[in-house]
Amino acid sequence: MMTTITKTRAGRLGKRPPRVRGSINAKAPAHRRDAALAWVLIAPGLVGFVAFVAYPTLRGFYLSFTDFRVLTPPTWTGLDNIIELAHDGVFWNSLLVTVYFVAISVVLGTAISIVTAVILHRLTASSVIRGLIILPFLISGVVAATLWSWMLDAQLGVVNVLVQHVFGHPVMFLTTRAWAIPSIAMISIWKSMGYNAIIIFAGLQTIPSSIYEAGRLDGASEVKMFRYLTLPLLRPILAMVLILSIIGSFQVFDIVQVATRGGPANASKVLQMYIYQKAFGQFDFGYAATMSLALFVVLIVITFLQMRLTRASESDTN
Amino acid sequence: MKLKKLIPIVVVALVLPLAACSSSNGSSGGSTTAKSTVNWWTWDDKQAAAYQLCVPGFEKANPNITVKITQYNVNDYFTKLTAGFVAGTAPDAFQNSVPILGEYASQKQIMPLDDLIKKSGFDLGKYNIGVSSWKYTDGKQYGLPLDWASSAFYFNKDDLKKAGISEDQTANMTWNPDNGGTFDKIVAHLTVDKNGVRGDEPGFDKNNVAVYGVGSLAAPDFNGQTSWNSFASSAGWQMGNKKAWPTKLNFDSPTFVKTVDYVRSLEARGFAPKYGSFTMADTEQLGSGKVAMIEGGSWEATTFAKLPGMSIGIAPTVKGSNGRSVISNSNANNIWVGTKNVDSTWKWVTYMGTQTCQSLAGASGSFFPSISASMVSVVNAQAKQGVDLSVFENQLKNKELNASPPMANGQKLTDTIQPMFESFFSGETSDAIFKQATTQSGQILTGK
Repeated sequence: MMTTITKTRAGRLGKRPPRVRGSINAKAPAHRRDAALAWVLIAPGLVGFVAFVAYPTLRGFYLSFTDFRVLTPPTWTGLDNIIELAHDGVFWNSLLVTVYFVAISVVLGTAISIVTAVILHRLTASSVIRGLIILPFLISGVVAATLWSWMLDAQLGVVNVLVQHVFGHPVMFLTTRAWAIPSIAMISIWKSMGYNAIIIFAGLQTIPSSIYEAGRLDGASEVKMFRYLTLPLLRPILAMVLILSIIGSFQVFDIVQVATRGGPANASKVLQMYIYQKAFGQFDFGYAATMSLALFVVLIVITFLQMRLTRASESDTN
Repeated sequence: MKLKKLIPIVVVALVLPLAACSSSNGSSGGSTTAKSTVNWWTWDDKQAAAYQLCVPGFEKANPNITVKITQYNVNDYFTKLTAGFVAGTAPDAFQNSVPILGEYASQKQIMPLDDLIKKSGFDLGKYNIGVSSWKYTDGKQYGLPLDWASSAFYFNKDDLKKAGISEDQTANMTWNPDNGGTFDKIVAHLTVDKNGVRGDEPGFDKNNVAVYGVGSLAAPDFNGQTSWNSFASSAGWQMGNKKAWPTKLNFDSPTFVKTVDYVRSLEARGFAPKYGSFTMADTEQLGSGKVAMIEGGSWEATTFAKLPGMSIGIAPTVKGSNGRSVISNSNANNIWVGTKNVDSTWKWVTYMGTQTCQSLAGASGSFFPSISASMVSVVNAQAKQGVDLSVFENQLKNKELNASPPMANGQKLTDTIQPMFESFFSGETSDAIFKQATTQSGQILTGK
């Protein structure tokens, strides 16, 4: 960790010798066949990339400007889909719903993950407990959502038995507008929390204990050390966790599909759900492709902003 | 030097799987010899097993045809089918559902059957239900009905006994949108609060109900197939402005609005659980003992009958000023235009439509045959196992079934109208939303 950080620092300051295009002695007889070998070695990966990433992406881009109903060839409609998108209230509503979900699950999820990781780091070295923490992540989203929707059922769910004892009345977690998205976010946090906590935990282990010793000598409290030592040193890891969980949250689908199917009254109709309904329910693949493209643009902008704001490639060491 | 040897190996390694792919495709498509295979798909595992019973008889009568039945879960079924149309690997014939008819017929993926019907002298008249639902807007017949489904009330016999209500009373429930008829009285009396006070007694606590008289009738599907529809149509309401391919749905009719208002009033009075308070299937609601009676699909009859430790009865839907009226839908057999064995496929499809096959396959109770005579043998077979399906038999006999109209853009309609129903039943909006639902349904049905 430390060595990579110093390397990038050095590179930024321009101390590294300028890269020469092509390798040293590229023309030497020993290297004459390198290009061919390189192509052979790259080929499997390249074929996979072209067939499964590049072509589908470009085709999706093309389809977003067409009317495509799968069974008949696509017809070019120019900007019609984009104009329809701009006037589609359901689309904008589902974008808002998605952002609401992302906000809850990322903010709350990251906070809980950090706290869990710090507690793990300070209190236990047991790998059994670390293993337990990551268990929910290993469960499939569909199974998690099914189990939670049973447990959250207002009449028969075990969670509501508890809620009823404490508050005197059940809460309709997945079937009222106010609770639908927070409940889904809660399921999503429960599922991904362990994974994020383990990544952050690994980041914590790279912070040398001498730094904390120094802090303690200077009389810093635990809270101060967390704020002024742990968090800044963790920044690259946190940035990665944030970016991954934001992108992951924007793509939420399985939990919604199983737990609420977008209801009640579109209250939890996230963007992926709407795209899925348009494409595989209504066979309107052209319009669905346009919405996917819109989501793609949103994600690129957010990732770019995040990289800038969090200076993800740097840490505060030195 | 080694490298030159390596390249062909890599090329072979990359190309071989592709070659293997294409050769396997070739062999399945090129069977033009005397022996042919008919592929048939369904989404129902029980029906796949049921129709498998017809195969030996068919193959014996047609020794040069083999039938292969494949089942895919309903969540993948139509995606797989669509992919099959594009890739040329779709089954020769398959089970299809009415809302999809418009999509497949308009894009010319399924075959109009009129010529085959005429050539082979096949008699459509033997079907008692479902034929008209499979005529497309061009007036041609695209499907042969396989089954039909409707709804009825399932009730907990113990709850009924405790309330002192006879099964004769539930078998003759009347209803009107103004005072709810005898249905309302029965439901009120079946409801019991935490202190044991019944819904029609003084001091009833509607906020602490132990047993609801009826499961929620507030279903957001725009057909209301197993909920409000049998109420609205018993009062004379018609869903579409036409029997088939309507251009408007009558959600703004006063009869309809009064019906859904009544449905909401059941919840307000504590006789039915609040909309959204159960996320479980209706069989589980009745099985939990929190609901005394619930309207459910006819296809659930055998599941309800098997609820452990419970004695379940079946009652017909309510009688209104228009008598009884239950919405029914019929799945059908469609033939893919790309089939290479039209004649063998037609033979299999028509064989499935014989009384012999329908009676044989239907005996397990996994579906109700569209042919009356077969329906009788299904009812008899199930009666031997202790399941009384006479309520459904009577629906067919007494012509109380009201075929759900085939519609254009069925899925778009569902995705648009359902949220409106949800917002009404959850109390977010007033019944004014149904004006908007009518307008939007018109736009979607006419493709604007």
